[in-house]
Amino acid sequence: MKAHGSPETFRLTIPSQTRYLNLVTGLAKRASSVAGLGDADSSKVSIAVDEAVTNVILHAYHGDAERWVEIELCFEPRDLVIHIWHDGDGLAEDEITLPDPGEYVTHPRKGGLGLLLMSRFMDEVHFFESPDRSECRMVKHVD
Amino acid sequence: MADLSIQVHDVDGIAVVQPEGFVNAHTVRQFESALEELARSGRVTILLDCEHLNYISSAGLGAIMGLIEPIREQEGDILLCNLQRNVRSIFETLGFTQLYRVFSSREEALRTLAGKSE
Repeated sequence: MKAHGSPETFRLTIPSQTRYLNLVTGLAKRASSVAGLGDADSSKVSIAVDEAVTNVILHAYHGDAERWVEIELCFEPRDLVIHIWHDGDGLAEDEITLPDPGEYVTHPRKGGLGLLLMSRFMDEVHFFESPDRSECRMVKHVD
Repeated sequence: MADLSIQVHDVDGIAVVQPEGFVNAHTVRQFESALEELARSGRVTILLDCEHLNYISSAGLGAIMGLIEPIREQEGDILLCNLQRNVRSIFETLGFTQLYRVFSSREEALRTLAGKSE
């Protein structure tokens, strides 16, 4: 741990390709365990990270495999904070409307479930846009 | 080990699909193709045995969601069994256990299906 309360962090940059999803989600699950989360919560974090990185690859980059996705895991005293950065199309948080899962039960259809899972499995999910890059920041509280 | 392998067995007219590994955005086409092929060939009672499915993301859920109505229109169904805890958690979180019949074991699912068809 760094001195003066700075949280320990590590970063991983991957090419914008779905073949690396398994690597990233495995890492997120292990990091969750290191942060002190139980197995069930660690699985939820790994799923949220999968969804967030998939969104970047498929929607921010529209499948362009020549870009990058940067993932940072930050071990705060009471939180695991995950930053996911990219320089593709950003997502404006105030324009997001989460679907009602009940609608899927009555009218099954594809799509829209990723953000819903992220919001259900993490304690906080935020999106930020800046001129040079966009960010998804997710927080899981460690009890 | 491959990210995903899929075995399909026929048990008394029921297509038992056994995915092993991970269904995510990288492997979903393989998963979706296996289900679509069954539907195309008229094998529309599909039991997804998830004993060795370590993980399914929204991409995999979407593949199932996209097929459930066409399959039910052909008087078939997609059922699930042997869900690992994290996979069950996804279905329960989204309320999808109301949409799909979920069984604790393959035997229980097959027994129920056999009873229904008698």
